[in-house]
Amino acid sequence: MLLVDDVSAGYGEVTVLHGISIDVQPGEVVTIVGANGAGKTTLLRTIAGLIRPRSGTITFEGRDIGHLAAHDTVDLGVTLVPEARQLFPFMTVRDNLYLGAFRKDARDGMEKRLGEVLELFPRVRERLDQLANSLSGGEQQMVAIARGLMANPRLMMFDEPSLGLAPMIVKQVFEVIEEIVGMGKTVLLVEQNVFQTLSIADRGYVLENGAVVLADTGAALLKNDHVRRAYLGI
Amino acid sequence: MDIFIQLVANGLMLGGLFAMISIGLTLIFGIVKVINFAHGEFLMVGMYVVYLLTGWLDLHPYVTAVPLIVLFFVLGAAIQRFIIQPLLDAEDPHVQIFATVGLSTAMINLALLVFGADLRTTTGIGVRAPVHIGGVRLLFGQIMMFLSAVGLVLAIHLFLTRTFLGRAIRAVAQNRGAAALMGVNVNKIYIITFGIGAACVGLASALVAPMYPVSPTIGTYFVLTAFVVVVLGGMGSIQGAFLGAMIIGLVDSLSGYYIAPDLKEVVYFAIFIAILIWRPTGLLGLGKGSE
Amino acid sequence: MTTAASLPAATRRKSVAGRLGHPRTYVGLAALSLLVLVPLGINDDFIFHVFITICLYGALATAWNIVGGFAGQLSLGHAIFYGIGAYTSTLLLASFGLTPWIGMFAGAAIAAMVGAAIAYPCFRLRGPFFVLATIAFLEVIRLLSLHFRGLTGGAVGLMPPLRIGWEWMIFREREPSLFIAFGFLCLCLLVAWWIRNSRFGFYLVAIRERDDAAQAAGINTVAFKLYAIMVSAALTSMVGSFHAMYLGFVEPESMFSLTFSVQIAMFALIGGIGTVFGPLFGTLLVVPVTELARGWLGAQAIGLHGFVYGTVLVLIVLFMPGGLVSKFDKPIGRLLERLPGGRSPAEATVEGRAPLLEPEVVAERSAPGQVILRVDSLYKRFGGLVVTENVGFELKQGQVLGIIGPNGAGKTTLFNQISGFIRPDAGSVAVLGTDGAWHSPRAPHEYARLGIGRTFQVVQPFAAMTVLENIMVGAFRRHPNAAEAREAALEVAERMGLWAMRHTEARNLTIGGQKRLEMARVMALEPRILLLDEVMAGLNAADVKKAVELVRDIRDSGVAVIAIEHVMQAIMSISDEVIVINAGRVIARGEPATVVRDPQVIEAYLGQDYVHAAS
Repeated sequence: MLLVDDVSAGYGEVTVLHGISIDVQPGEVVTIVGANGAGKTTLLRTIAGLIRPRSGTITFEGRDIGHLAAHDTVDLGVTLVPEARQLFPFMTVRDNLYLGAFRKDARDGMEKRLGEVLELFPRVRERLDQLANSLSGGEQQMVAIARGLMANPRLMMFDEPSLGLAPMIVKQVFEVIEEIVGMGKTVLLVEQNVFQTLSIADRGYVLENGAVVLADTGAALLKNDHVRRAYLGI
Repeated sequence: MDIFIQLVANGLMLGGLFAMISIGLTLIFGIVKVINFAHGEFLMVGMYVVYLLTGWLDLHPYVTAVPLIVLFFVLGAAIQRFIIQPLLDAEDPHVQIFATVGLSTAMINLALLVFGADLRTTTGIGVRAPVHIGGVRLLFGQIMMFLSAVGLVLAIHLFLTRTFLGRAIRAVAQNRGAAALMGVNVNKIYIITFGIGAACVGLASALVAPMYPVSPTIGTYFVLTAFVVVVLGGMGSIQGAFLGAMIIGLVDSLSGYYIAPDLKEVVYFAIFIAILIWRPTGLLGLGKGSE
Repeated sequence: MTTAASLPAATRRKSVAGRLGHPRTYVGLAALSLLVLVPLGINDDFIFHVFITICLYGALATAWNIVGGFAGQLSLGHAIFYGIGAYTSTLLLASFGLTPWIGMFAGAAIAAMVGAAIAYPCFRLRGPFFVLATIAFLEVIRLLSLHFRGLTGGAVGLMPPLRIGWEWMIFREREPSLFIAFGFLCLCLLVAWWIRNSRFGFYLVAIRERDDAAQAAGINTVAFKLYAIMVSAALTSMVGSFHAMYLGFVEPESMFSLTFSVQIAMFALIGGIGTVFGPLFGTLLVVPVTELARGWLGAQAIGLHGFVYGTVLVLIVLFMPGGLVSKFDKPIGRLLERLPGGRSPAEATVEGRAPLLEPEVVAERSAPGQVILRVDSLYKRFGGLVVTENVGFELKQGQVLGIIGPNGAGKTTLFNQISGFIRPDAGSVAVLGTDGAWHSPRAPHEYARLGIGRTFQVVQPFAAMTVLENIMVGAFRRHPNAAEAREAALEVAERMGLWAMRHTEARNLTIGGQKRLEMARVMALEPRILLLDEVMAGLNAADVKKAVELVRDIRDSGVAVIAIEHVMQAIMSISDEVIVINAGRVIARGEPATVVRDPQVIEAYLGQDYVHAAS
């Protein structure tokens, strides 16, 4: 479904990703783990079209998306739930969700999808007419995920959805992600919470210094010595 | 007391004028985050266009509003596309200021070259006709200006809150990166916004031209007031600009009478500086001027 | 110059004669003297006028550039200072018969004070807001000068009494005016050149590039910006004093003119903002064209000069954002190097110094000494979110304290509170000074002066400065002299493995390089307490190992270290004590080995499921 082939990318004069290749099959949950600064977020931003790759190709369902702008990538059904939520702070939760459905294919049936999405997030329904910045961190993360779902994407990417949340909320976030997987969405997940992430992933990639150093199934990576030492602290 | 009421009425009418000029400026700042230092010169050019159109085609100045809105939308969009957009990602945010300052200087002096420094007066039948409302004497053109300002504020508010495009515009203002992730073409939004902001000036020119004679430097006079209004109301806030315009209109009218005519601008520049320093978010602003 | 670095300091300083022998200097001076020689040669009234205008505008643009370019504070109100100079000297001459040679110093003093008074409240404004404020002040002053007719003559203006001669700055012939204008230009250039090459200038550029990082380097940023505006205002005012005599007439509309303010700034922008000679080049490019056009076309050309200025500015901004200097500096520089006295190619290739010195023999590591930092029950909330809750600890000399916790736990917020960037809502931070007394500093630069150096998690290099210049900003803290600071910075660069890239602009470094630079700049402060915010994040295994060794060396030299790291591994190996923070609170503290086994820590990091799975 998604094929990232030998992609290098970076900011300004600095190259962050050095020839990365990953792939995601339909219906899979694939995760990318690695330390701060390893290039995980850069990789997602590159796929999403916020950064142009310097070299290499990115194809989604057979189409080259490497040189599409972010808004065109969204139109094809690839949605990124960004790091640190990135809601529109001075808009109501409802308007935030409407904006999630901005892409052309998602505008029809927007109200219907809003109902469906709110089924998943009962707490969000209660907050529909509040300003987004008045919500707690956990609620904001839920709105961010709900907003991503409003685009009705085929590939949904999450960037550190557990960032800065209390352990109990983190658990809820992972439950929601599992439900989304259950809906048949393909998921690409970047997380610092290595244990929980690998536990729900079909496959995982370990990124270090902008390069893939390990690739295996989630279960195998959990048992991998390098991963256990470096990321699980054991 | 009668004088006071008349002064208040004059102040509110003047506020209508200031609001007409300020709305586009605050819209562009709020969304594109660029202060258009050439905003006053847009007005100046608009007033010359009205002057020419009324002269050549024998149109009523109000009728010229239609072509002016279209013309200025295109002008604004082009300036955004070809001058501001290439500079949006510049390392030094000052370059955008330089660009619009340069544009402003070029436009003023081009007008000087073409029209000379003389004042040109646009005539509009009925615009200066007095209207009496309960002992207060106003001009028809002033009332039109005030009503247009109210209408424009309402229209833009509805547009921004009720339409897909309007929501996308607000989204871009609040979080450009996230808006792109929703599928919003940020550059296109900027171009449209700059166009709308300029179109507001187009409309304003048609209303202002028959009230005030035009000269190449008239834009500087008006834009400084518009800056005061916009900062007072809160950079980027449309309602704030309207409120700020009313306040400055009243300050202008009252201080001109009670303090001294040549010090009224000192009063509102003093307010301006105080607001900038102590409350840079203005009265209704969400933005953060000091960041 | 690079080869000279390893020579003793005394022999390295170039003599004045040595500098004059360099083509950049002698060609530059020769070109500058043309500003006097050409009009003297042509001896035409109009040409004199053009060159006097160039000299004066060039001087004004150069003075503007000190605050607008070096310090990055874009003022469009500089006509205030120009007008103050003009009015002060004219009034002093008219009322007391005081010669403008003295009057201009009175004007300069007033302008400097007014500049400081105006700028102080405005410095918290960034970008366009600062610009707007300066415009507003200019308008207020213009309107007031129109209003107070008694003093200023109002709109009618004033004329300085027509007394001819050198002592009155007023002449029948043009030559003396040219000499004086040229003198002012040279004065402004000299001041700008001196500032750019001294600690003052380095500090201003550092402030412009990254205010926070400049404060962390111990710079009182507000004070230095004020000095800059005062110098700039004083010079502008002096030029204004002379210009009033030259014009023979002052009135508010032209003295306190926004258009004039904009023009001055434009010359600097067109030539190259922030460079010493850029403003003069900008003036040289546009003034002759427009003045000549005005001379030939006369009244028809009204507005033409402004149109040219504006258009050229827009084009420059779009296609040559660094100004003329950025485009032509290098090619012209290369041409100049070929002239006699320039660096010969062979000499130019001799780069670098002797291979890395043997690591210094480190003194026996002393046991952690006395307490030098006390952090007591800090408390901070942002909006509804408590980000620091009752955090306290002590730090001893030579100790390494590790602070760990998941992303978003509030580690960096804590750092910001113990380096002065965030004021805690409650609680206190006390630092033991070298004087043996405890201090509670308030501003970041005060922390830096007490010997607390910090790095930033998101690296904050002074992007437009070279690696060496970046480090020098730190080194100036101990070595106010530029040559000594350079020497100290070179040593640090070598120690930190940045020698090879010392002339690279910081923006062109890799993230790893920028992190090392960040450390180097802090080390150049010679701190007693070092705060490291995730300096190892994103480094590869080999670099992490190097960084660990570096931190150990630093500790062994007696510096106390507090290190935030996201990943446990590295921090465990260097820390004497570890504090674990989650959701703003300390959830565990103690020796590294004990802390990793704490169930609360494991849960915070790995989640509850992991705890269950492991047990």
